[in-house]
Amino acid sequence: MTSMRLPAGGIVDRTRVLRFTFDGVTYEGHPGDTLASALLGNGVHLVGRSFKYHRPRGIYTAGVEEPNALVQLSRGPRTEPNVRATTQELYDGLVAASQNCWPSVRFDVGAVNDIVAPIIPAGFYYKTFMWPPTPKAWLRYEHAIRHAAGMGRASEASDPDRYEHQYAHCDVLVVGGGAAGLAAARAAAATGARVILCGEEPGWGGQLQGAKSAIDDILADRWIADALATLAAERDVTLLARTTAFGWYDGNLVGALERVADHLPTPAAHAPRQRLWKIRAREIVLATGAIERGIAYPGNDRPGTLLAGAAQCYVERFGVRPGTRALLFTSHDGAYDAAQALQAAGVEIAAIVDARPGALLTGAANVRAREMGMNVVADSTIAAARGRLRVKSVDIADRDGRRRRIDCDLVCVSGGANPAVHLFSQARGALRYDDAIAAYLPDASPMPIVAAGAVNGCFDLAAALDDGHRAGATAAVRCGFPRPTLESPRARPADVRAPLRPMWAVARGARGKAFVDLQNDVTVDDIALAAREGYQAVEHLKRYTTLGMGTDQGKTSNVIGLALMAEQLAVPIARVGTTTFRPPYTPVTLGAIPGGESGGHVEPTRYSAMHAWHAARGARFVNAGLWKRPHSYPRPGESEDDAANREARNVRSNVGLVDVSTLGKIELQGRDVVTLLNRMYCNRWDTLAVGRCRYGLMLRDDGMVMDDGTTSRLGPTHFLMTTTTVNAVKVMQQLEYLLQVEWPELEVYATSVTEQWAAAALSGPKARDVLARIVDIDVSNAACPFLAVADCRVATAAGPAAARLFRLSYSGELAYEIHVPADRGPALWEAVMAAGEASGIMPYGTEAMSTLRIEKGHIVVGTEADGRTTADDLGMGSLVNGGKWCIGKPLLGRAALTAPGRWQLVGLTAQDGATMPRAAKIVRDPDRAAPNPMEGHVTSWCFSPNLDRWIALALVADGRARHGETLWAVSPLAGVRVRVSVGPPCFIDPEGERLRV
Amino acid sequence: MSELDADAIGARTPGRYGASPPQLVLAETIIEVAWNIQGDVAREAFADAVTNAFRVDLPATPNTSTRMNRIRALWLGPGSWLLVSGMGPPPLPFADFIAQRDTVNAAGGALFDVSASRIAFTLRGARAGPVLAKRCPLDFHARAFAPGRVAQSVFGHVNALFVRADDGAAFTVMVARSYARDVWQALCESAAVDGYEVAPPAPLE
Repeated sequence: MTSMRLPAGGIVDRTRVLRFTFDGVTYEGHPGDTLASALLGNGVHLVGRSFKYHRPRGIYTAGVEEPNALVQLSRGPRTEPNVRATTQELYDGLVAASQNCWPSVRFDVGAVNDIVAPIIPAGFYYKTFMWPPTPKAWLRYEHAIRHAAGMGRASEASDPDRYEHQYAHCDVLVVGGGAAGLAAARAAAATGARVILCGEEPGWGGQLQGAKSAIDDILADRWIADALATLAAERDVTLLARTTAFGWYDGNLVGALERVADHLPTPAAHAPRQRLWKIRAREIVLATGAIERGIAYPGNDRPGTLLAGAAQCYVERFGVRPGTRALLFTSHDGAYDAAQALQAAGVEIAAIVDARPGALLTGAANVRAREMGMNVVADSTIAAARGRLRVKSVDIADRDGRRRRIDCDLVCVSGGANPAVHLFSQARGALRYDDAIAAYLPDASPMPIVAAGAVNGCFDLAAALDDGHRAGATAAVRCGFPRPTLESPRARPADVRAPLRPMWAVARGARGKAFVDLQNDVTVDDIALAAREGYQAVEHLKRYTTLGMGTDQGKTSNVIGLALMAEQLAVPIARVGTTTFRPPYTPVTLGAIPGGESGGHVEPTRYSAMHAWHAARGARFVNAGLWKRPHSYPRPGESEDDAANREARNVRSNVGLVDVSTLGKIELQGRDVVTLLNRMYCNRWDTLAVGRCRYGLMLRDDGMVMDDGTTSRLGPTHFLMTTTTVNAVKVMQQLEYLLQVEWPELEVYATSVTEQWAAAALSGPKARDVLARIVDIDVSNAACPFLAVADCRVATAAGPAAARLFRLSYSGELAYEIHVPADRGPALWEAVMAAGEASGIMPYGTEAMSTLRIEKGHIVVGTEADGRTTADDLGMGSLVNGGKWCIGKPLLGRAALTAPGRWQLVGLTAQDGATMPRAAKIVRDPDRAAPNPMEGHVTSWCFSPNLDRWIALALVADGRARHGETLWAVSPLAGVRVRVSVGPPCFIDPEGERLRV
Repeated sequence: MSELDADAIGARTPGRYGASPPQLVLAETIIEVAWNIQGDVAREAFADAVTNAFRVDLPATPNTSTRMNRIRALWLGPGSWLLVSGMGPPPLPFADFIAQRDTVNAAGGALFDVSASRIAFTLRGARAGPVLAKRCPLDFHARAFAPGRVAQSVFGHVNALFVRADDGAAFTVMVARSYARDVWQALCESAAVDGYEVAPPAPLE
């Protein structure tokens, strides 16, 4: 454990020390470090084992493109796999461990895979492990292969973190906080446009952080700080650090993930761990930079092998020497800057191996390197790299194949850089292959999105600043803002550079694995294999070899892979093309996607105005759509079933009160309301008098029963329609559709008043007694007969409440529905309960309500009216008025809907004191062997406390002609059979005398 | 005013909650009267009848509101407005619903009393817009949502009507009464990161 920390330089705060643990060993680092830079600062390179071959691996990059350094991060009770050490900010007490190795990263049993590698190349599972050719054998192999696959361990605990969403709108969204991005945001903000600047790093400036460059004649770090201060001071500028724009969606909507607290041991109180931004931008400037790529050579995965730019970043930004003796391998001038930075940091430069011919190396950087005495070896490549747990030497080969060995403990490789065009491509942006940089550049997009800076091929600072400035200004101008007078930031023009030579892999014939995709262990040979096997299309190449399918999504490997395929096929690279870019750019935590809407918050809950009273009374609640309704009110020691039976019995002997606020209520006014009602309902409404209500059925277009309810006439052209709870929204939507689309000529106005009125149904022989105590109108049978509607006032503890009274009955007893404005609901309820005490009133819930209506044979939408039954099937054929058109009428005439044998609504009574089985089927002979023809099925069933036996409503073939017959209700699933006798669906008071009293 | 802990997010008691110092004030807003009026404002008979009966002009431009004394008219849709009043005893035009309904019916329109159907909450503070934007996709910036303007959208999964206060520094959110509990909880959770103060219920302005 040696310290490779430089005494000065970079953004880390050396005055404070952070302690962290990796693989059980405690180390020190500083604020500003990532886990990777802190490990390198302690001389630790070996951080994991590769996916398939379990080869020792070290840190390769300094960013999100990292394929190797994926660690298991522990955070108290939480553990998170596949965390990139190169982006995980260091905090005090951080605990991490290597993955995919056992028992340790230094000695891993899984390394046997490296030895048997020849039989497990890409796609091996399509060709091997096929014997014996039985499903059982394959399943065993598959289990083992699956067990070996996978990286890291998922947490088994519930996610304790909070996540939230944030919508945002802006004129210009700048993605990327480097030189070009800052220049773009600065220019756009100067116009007065609303600007959002998001960058995936904790700091701003990208590669400028810690660099010695100068902008506008001041040091880069100071220029960045000044630019940020200006932006932060603007009211209409939002700076989002630690925020990755991961996807572009239709309409210039960008999804971005802000890591609010991943750099802390735990989130601050009230703060979410992560925030998912949904940003709607009028114009987008993409300044996402370019990602460096390596060159494939045998042994290019030894720990201690880094991309050259990453090595430079560790030196300049984090003040860490990644090694003591470095060898660089490159095919372009960019790596020479890294060599210079390394040497300045005290790293010995063993050699710069340049694949290009010496005659080409006339660029300023090449000249400077030679002047500094660096050993530049031209026209050469790396033939092999040695060192199992850490690189210790490389063999370099010249043009003629002559080799020599060079000792080193650090290899820095660079084959160029690929613009990060992901979001651009997602936005339907076309790409074109550019030979000069041997990479894909953004071409044109039909969407309002432009690329600026390195992503646009502007690799040097001056060009990137200028490109960013112009893109930001133009974007703001396109939004209608005046062009800014602010000048573009200036930097020293780029040195003359020698041309890049594309080199994807060193010459074939070199022994040893040359890796293209480090994360998924895809080698150069695998790509050749795919070509030989016929998987030549780039999408096939990807899926056959798994190139680019790891968590890094092939950021350092995709272009190399498709270029090698192009070589295999002897076609231009542009012809091979790229695979489709899909979001997310980097992994997004699942928890962030629903945000706060998980568990009980997936859907909202609706509460009636009287909910608090029900809860205080010990009600058990049941879900009715989004509503909470009381199921029953069990007394201490009472089961729910006993409570429901008690309540149902009490309604028929005394009086009960049930909360029916959830029923859909729609008020209608207008000259043509009756016409509308006649068309929507199957029965007639012309003769409904003011102050009266009527039951009606609505049919679907195909003639089946859709919904039922009552409609009351409140005035000559003022009506109130009720629907079932579940269909309230559906009927309202249907109504709006009919009035706006089908019959706009009708003068009808409608509004939902479900929420306006709290409603309670007072039911039972003593209902009138109770009601008379609290209302100010005559409720005698003469003054208020069955189906009457009247306005009245109810006396409550807080004064009289205006109310609507409806003499309706769902229970079949003498009953009244009382509606009051919802804010008076609790007062109404309390007043009725108080007035009813002397009469033995009990509240009752949906269970008792259900029992009562089954006893009366009242249908329910969903059970009896299940979308397959007509009004006639349900015994309500007489409701369908023959003399007028209504929705569903034409198709009701179909022959099959009036044919004999249709299943009709009947009542069933269980014989022999038996319990009615759940969801029973009706058969003639329960012993008949399958297939046993069904005579019908049970739609609703209950124990009837008022009849003291189990009853049911059922649909039975020709049911109405079979009253008196005995059949069997069977549940093959439960193995139960019960003898039942068939009769009319109404079990109690078939003449309806009780409700007309 | 007391400092309460994180578990109390969603409580109704006046006090400070969430991060400190609080950036927002949350309060229930009392709506005394809300009548939905529907009709064709291009028809002179209807427009005149409404102006005479209520002393306020119905806004013809979508998503706007008009105001006269204590009555505000909010645009709900083509041919539908909400007349609201929130201070003290209802103004004279709201005294007799039946009479007003008959007047409007006679002029070819409709009038519905929906005073109890909605609950309203008001968020006051510079962070009010961004907090609402945690669960609503509307653009709450002053340039897009001017004072006095009205918009219908969702808050979470719940239909909501948003009104920006005349002074621009607050938003009122109206939702159906049955969702009030969930919506208040969601508002509090969204506001907790910024810190909020619960104020006693106040009438609609």
